[in-house]
Amino acid sequence: MGLPSPRQYWDRAASEKTVRWRARLPASDSILIVSAVEISDVNKSFGDVIAVDHLSLTVPEGSVYGFIGPNGSGKSTTMRMIANIFYPDSGTIQVFGQTRSGTRSAEIGYLPEERGVYRKMKVRALLEFYGKLRGGRDVTAQVNSWLERLGLKNRADDKVETLSKGMSQKVQFIATIIPEPKLLILDEPFTGLDPVSADSIRGAVIEMRKRGCTVILSTHDMGVAESLCDSIFMIFRGKKVLDGSLASIQASYGSDTIRVEIEGGSSALNDLPGIERINDLGQVQELRMTQGCDPQQVLRTLAARARMAAFAVVQPSLHDIFVRIAGPQPEEASIE
Amino acid sequence: MNRILLVARRDYLQTILSKAYLIGLVIVPILIGGSFLVTSIAMRGNAKNQRVAIIDHTGVAASAVIQAAEEASRRPLVNAPNGLRVTPHFVFEEVKPEADETAQLLALSGRVRRGELYLIIDISADALHPSSDPAKELVHFYSNSSGVDQSGFSLPAAVNDGLRRVRLSQVGLDARAPDILRDVPVVSMNLVTKDPATGNIVRAEKKNPVQAVVPVFLTILLLMVVLFGAAPHLGAVAEDKMQRVFEMLLCSASSFELMMGKVLASVGTSLTSSIFYVIGGLAVLAGMAVFGLAPLNLLPWFFVYLIADVVMLSAWSVALGSACSTPQDAQSLAFLLVVPVMIPMLLLNPVMQQPNGALATAMSFVPPFTPMIMLLRQAMPGGVPWWEPWLGLAGMTVFAAAVVWAAARIFRIGILSQGKAPKIAELAEWVVRG
Repeated sequence: MGLPSPRQYWDRAASEKTVRWRARLPASDSILIVSAVEISDVNKSFGDVIAVDHLSLTVPEGSVYGFIGPNGSGKSTTMRMIANIFYPDSGTIQVFGQTRSGTRSAEIGYLPEERGVYRKMKVRALLEFYGKLRGGRDVTAQVNSWLERLGLKNRADDKVETLSKGMSQKVQFIATIIPEPKLLILDEPFTGLDPVSADSIRGAVIEMRKRGCTVILSTHDMGVAESLCDSIFMIFRGKKVLDGSLASIQASYGSDTIRVEIEGGSSALNDLPGIERINDLGQVQELRMTQGCDPQQVLRTLAARARMAAFAVVQPSLHDIFVRIAGPQPEEASIE
Repeated sequence: MNRILLVARRDYLQTILSKAYLIGLVIVPILIGGSFLVTSIAMRGNAKNQRVAIIDHTGVAASAVIQAAEEASRRPLVNAPNGLRVTPHFVFEEVKPEADETAQLLALSGRVRRGELYLIIDISADALHPSSDPAKELVHFYSNSSGVDQSGFSLPAAVNDGLRRVRLSQVGLDARAPDILRDVPVVSMNLVTKDPATGNIVRAEKKNPVQAVVPVFLTILLLMVVLFGAAPHLGAVAEDKMQRVFEMLLCSASSFELMMGKVLASVGTSLTSSIFYVIGGLAVLAGMAVFGLAPLNLLPWFFVYLIADVVMLSAWSVALGSACSTPQDAQSLAFLLVVPVMIPMLLLNPVMQQPNGALATAMSFVPPFTPMIMLLRQAMPGGVPWWEPWLGLAGMTVFAAAVVWAAARIFRIGILSQGKAPKIAELAEWVVRG
């Protein structure tokens, strides 16, 4: 019997509702798995709308945890509950082993989805204010350091309202990470950013993680989730529908996808036997096979119809998995 | 506490360093002073000769009326040593009554419209024998001006004076006798008091017109600085909410700390403004050589009431602002903020007429009105019993604490709520539910 994967350790930790536990490993090796966030059977409603429905989740310390889900699925509400902005109607949320109802500390940095800063304030004054408010100490040195690293040093004395969206987002990001929280909650930090600004923030997130910071971020960009996150949690209609590493999530769906590059367009894919869904990405097409479909048979059929530049049997992408869960179901689609 | 002070410091500096605040601070006294100046200039303009036509249906009263009016116009006004004239000088033109009275009045009205005449005085034939029926109209003034004008203050007395002279001569008395129609000067005095320390009776002093202005100035100043300190929160909090600022701040500070920081900033802003204006007011009194009229003993009460009022009103303003999602929402809820300070303003006149009457006394113990009405009563000659301000302050303090508590509960929900602004009933529900 092999060693349990980190994911299995985390799942066990969640099921036993323990924050810390030590796994016994063979010989002298031992690892310490520590939960940064422990959500147990949490519910949250707004009037008649159930935003979060019996949610349990464990976020390991030092990981980057991606929250995905359609708009209005409960991502932001969950993040706000972790940040102690909303209180759950029932269930418990522990952050670093403590139930945090009503308490504030410098341990959590929270970046709401867009905006969140005083637009009339000057950049440096704003960052120092946010830093002092959270940390209770002078943060001038950290402010200068981050301004330089994110290329904002020459705009330090400008008002926030004069900055571009990307720059404002960077300022907001700096305000969040000062003074070096242990848990960073970022609600769609890359939305609307150009690639250069996005790379700046991505680099900063990675650096924060290297320093031991736990990062929870929500995103609609599946590429970001796949490349940046250790684990991915998907919430749909308030319920948890995915939770684990990308590999484990993909493995649970099996290799039911064929990725092809057809020369001369995708018309050759029409009415292909054994294929239940075609996702045309332009240059590449993803074909989802029905259960029991033989990919070799698909290859032969396709080869008879058109020339192919590439053919591979792969696991579904996160994008595809997302669409499978959150896309319109056959009966819904027919209604629409 | 540290976080409250940090939020307060940020909001305070943001406010007092803004151009809008600095301009407002200076422009308000300029506007008030300017309005006095414009009034003064306008009154001087009215001091030029004004032509008045008299239609005398008695046939004997016109000359007496003209004589009385001219004598009245020669009297020194308000003891002005330099003889500054602030009322018009009337030049009279006697017009013989015509058979068609309506046509004559129409013709004269045309002259008034063309600016050739200022006023038409129409004296009926029965004016020398007035009945006891006050509804019977015997003299009419026709003019193009509003109901309240210069002629309304001085000419009615002159017309009556003239008619009285005619009547006296008709019964054989000489109206030109030295004392028969001379006015007796009436001097307004303050009350006689007793020095509590020595027991000596202190003689009353003459009332000074400035003395009547000081209580009103103090009350209006209180209203002004309280509104200027508290009202901006309504829009500012709504804007911060729209910008999602509170979501970030709530990670660092509780909603109560955020609200109290804003309330404290309001107190600081109002104190700054009021100190500026109080010093300015004292300087004006000193410049007018009536510094003794400065109510220095009331200044501590002024500042205590100011703080209590600003705490109450700014907490309420922050709570209302948090319930808004758009600037339009804030505008629609503004009346809820203005009402507590406008009601005392409507009561200024009755309170000044009878500062210790039942209405004034009762209203000065209604907490939202206490600061302004109690201060006004204290500033009036004679003042109020010593315990009344303390009792009023106690009530105000308890009420302000209750408002802060309720506002905190509204604020906590309001800053994270979305959608249309809540109705008053929903706000009440937030207070109850918390």
